[in-house]
Amino acid sequence: MEVFLTSPWIPAEWVRAHGLQPRGIWSAETFQPGAWPLSAGVCAFAEAAVRFAEVRTDSAVIFSTACDQLRRGFDAAILRGQRRAFLFNLPATWQTAAAGQIFRSELERLGQFLLAIGGRAPSPEMLRQEMLQSGGRRKQLLESAPASSPRGFVEAVARFYWDGAFSPLPPAAPVNQIPLALVGGPFLAPHWKVLDEIEAAGGRVVLNATETGERSLSPAFEIEAGANQPFDVLVQSCCDNIVDVFQRPNTRLYSWLKPRLASRHVRGIVLWLFTGCDLWRAEAQTLRETFGLPVLLLEAGGEPGAAPRELNRLQAFVETLR
Amino acid sequence: MNTSPRKLNLDGWDDRYEQLRREGLREPAYGGPLRRHVVREKDFRLEQLQFDNSAAALRLWNFLLTENERLHQARANGDKIVGTMKDLGTVPVMAYALPGVRAFYPDGAWWTPCLMECSDRLLQQAEAMGIDASFCPVRAMLPAFENGEHFPRPDLLVCSTGAVCDDFSAIAQRLEHLGHSIFWWEIPRRRQPDPQEASCALPGNLFAPQVQVDCVREELQRVAQSLGKLAGQPLDDQTLAGGIRKANEVRRLLQALRTTVYSATAAPLPALEMLVAEMLAIHFCSDREETIAVLEDLLAEVQSRVRQNQFVIGADAVRVFWVNPVADLRAMNLLEELGGRICGSDYMFTHALDLIPENLPPLDALARTALADPMVGPTADRAGRIVRECQAGHAEAVVVSRIPGASHCAREGEIILETVRRKIGIPAIELEIPPVCDAMLPTLGSRLQALIETAKARRTK
Repeated sequence: MEVFLTSPWIPAEWVRAHGLQPRGIWSAETFQPGAWPLSAGVCAFAEAAVRFAEVRTDSAVIFSTACDQLRRGFDAAILRGQRRAFLFNLPATWQTAAAGQIFRSELERLGQFLLAIGGRAPSPEMLRQEMLQSGGRRKQLLESAPASSPRGFVEAVARFYWDGAFSPLPPAAPVNQIPLALVGGPFLAPHWKVLDEIEAAGGRVVLNATETGERSLSPAFEIEAGANQPFDVLVQSCCDNIVDVFQRPNTRLYSWLKPRLASRHVRGIVLWLFTGCDLWRAEAQTLRETFGLPVLLLEAGGEPGAAPRELNRLQAFVETLR
Repeated sequence: MNTSPRKLNLDGWDDRYEQLRREGLREPAYGGPLRRHVVREKDFRLEQLQFDNSAAALRLWNFLLTENERLHQARANGDKIVGTMKDLGTVPVMAYALPGVRAFYPDGAWWTPCLMECSDRLLQQAEAMGIDASFCPVRAMLPAFENGEHFPRPDLLVCSTGAVCDDFSAIAQRLEHLGHSIFWWEIPRRRQPDPQEASCALPGNLFAPQVQVDCVREELQRVAQSLGKLAGQPLDDQTLAGGIRKANEVRRLLQALRTTVYSATAAPLPALEMLVAEMLAIHFCSDREETIAVLEDLLAEVQSRVRQNQFVIGADAVRVFWVNPVADLRAMNLLEELGGRICGSDYMFTHALDLIPENLPPLDALARTALADPMVGPTADRAGRIVRECQAGHAEAVVVSRIPGASHCAREGEIILETVRRKIGIPAIELEIPPVCDAMLPTLGSRLQALIETAKARRTK
C-alpha cells in the first residue's frame, strides 16, 4: 500500500521498514494545489492534501502538525470520510527532552497505524538496512547538489521522495548568472518551470532550500556497526536534523542557511510560499535583516511556473541584482 | 433620569456618571468617567459603543481600560511583569500564584486598533516591521512591544507553541528576531487516546492520552522554574495550589454570571459587557483580586435585575450562540440592535472558564486544563461542545465570527457550521469582522439580519 507523507520530516524509512511504500505527497502526479476554488485564508497545499486524501481511499495519508493549515486539514479530511489518515505531531520546540519524547511516541504511534493498515512489524535489521540505504542516497543527492542543474536537482529529489531511488544529476552549465537561493515551503512539479524562468531572467538557483530541496535532505544516519537500536538512532537523528520555519525558535533554519548562502555566493533570496502560509511570509523581513540580502516573495499559483505578474516581479528582481 | 437597566452611549454615560456620583458612588482607584478614556487614551471607539448603564458595568469598563496604566504602576511598585502569549488562561494561573508577579497577554493589544480606531497606527507599523494585513490583528502587539507606549516591557516573555495559530506563532517568532527573548513551551495537538493507551480526563468532558498530559506537565514544570526564578521564590505545589483555588474563584463567578445571564428569559446584561467579563478569566486583567470584586459586582447586578424582571434586551430577541471573539467590539452591539441576544459563547478560551481540578497534583491539573484548550484539539471537539452548549442554552442561531488573517479561521468555520447544521439544524453563518467594522456595517448588518429573520421564522413553524 502507498503511504503519502505531507512532510519530509516524517521518516520514510520507518514506513518502508513496515513493508509499505512511502511517497512524498508533493511528488504525486495527481497532487494538484491550486486546482480548486479556496475559502479565504486556506492554503492551496493543505487543501490539495485534503482533496488528495478524499479520493485516495486505497492509500494512507500522513498529515503533520507542522502548520495550522495541515493540522486542521487533517480534521477536514476525517470529516470528509478518509479513514486511513494519520496526524503526526511534529514538535515545534527542539531544545528539550520533551520534544524528543513527543517525536519518539509519535513514531511508535505511526508504527501502530502502519500495522493496522496492513504493514508488518519491522525487525531492527530491516530498519537499519532502510536507514543505511536512504541515508546513502540523501548523501549522494546532497553532494551532487552544488554542481548540478537546478532543474535536474529538483527532479532527482522528487524521484527520491517518490520511490527512494537516486538518479544521477546532470551538471549545471557553466554560465555567468546571478546566484540565487530559493527558500520556502514545498516546491512542486507544476512550479519547477520557475527555475527555467529564473534562468531566462539571468539568475540561477544555486541553493534550493525549499521543503522539497536540500534543506530536507538530512545527513546520513550514523549507525555504528552491530548497533541493535536503529530506532533510537532514527528518533535522535530526525529530531536533530529538522530544519524548518515552524520550529520555535527557528534559529536552526538560519544556522543552516548562513554557511550555504555564503559559500555559494548567493546575491538574492526568492522566498517561495503558498498564499495563506503565515509561517514563511513572516520570515521575509527577518531573512533580509539577518543576511543583508534582497528578498523577493513569490507566491505559488494554480498555473505552471510563476503567474504573469509574479514573473514580471521575478524578472525585475534579477535585473536589479545585475 | 431613567435608571432602569438599559444601554447608553458615551454621552448618556456622562450624565449617568454625574448622577451616580451624586448618589454617592464609591469607586476603586482606577475609577472615573468613561469619557476620560477617549480624552486621555484616545479610545475613540467608545464614542460608537452602547454600554450597560449600571455602576457594575462602569467598574468593568474602567478596569479593562486602565490595564496598561495599572501594569505600569505595578512595575513602578516593584512587581515583576510576565508577558504570557497564546495559551489563554494557563500560565497566568501560575504567575499570579507567586507574590509580586503579574501576568498579562500582549496578545490583548489586538483590541488596541479597535479601541483607538486605528489612530495609533499600530497595524501600519506592524506592516513596516514585515507583518502585513494578511496576518491577524494581533500583529498590533509587535509595534506595541517596540514603542513601549502601551504595556510595559515584560521581565519575562512566555509563549506556547506547537498546536497554535500559525499567524500568532509567526508574529511571536518575529518578535524574538527583533530581540525580545521568548521562553517557548510546547503544547501538542490534543488527540483521542488510542484504545491501548492510558487515558486522562480533562476539563470540558474531554480526554487525552496520559503521554500528552505528561509532556505538558513537564513543559509547565519548566515554565514554573522560570517563573520561580523571576519571583525569587520557587513555585512549589502548595503555592500553585493556592493560585488554582483563586483562579477557580474567578471561574466560579464567571460560571454563575454566564448561567444567570444566558439562561434568563431575557438578557439582564448586554453582550458586550459579557464578552469583556469573560475575557477577565484569561489573566484577570492584570489584577486577580480586583477581577473577583468586579465580577461579584456584576453578578449581584444581574441577579438583582433578574429578580426584578428587569432586562436590557427584550425576551423576543433571537438567542444566538457566538463563536470567536470579535476584532471590533461594535459587532456585539450590532447583534442586539438587529434583534439578537447572546445565549452562549466560545471566545476561544473555554478552557479558561472550566474549573481546574483541585483533587490532582497542581501541575497535572494545569496540564490537563491547558490540553483542554479548544484551539489545540480537533475542530470536531470544539464543534461538539458548541453543539452541546447550543442545546443547553436553547440557541436559535449560531454566528462564527472570523478574525481577519487568523489561520484557524481558514478551516474551522466550515467544520463548526457543518456540525451545527447536521446535529441541531439551526441557522448558522460565518462573518468576518475587521478591527473597525464601520465600512462593513451594511454587509454585516444584512447578514445578521437574515440570520435573525430566519431564526424568527422558524419559531412559527
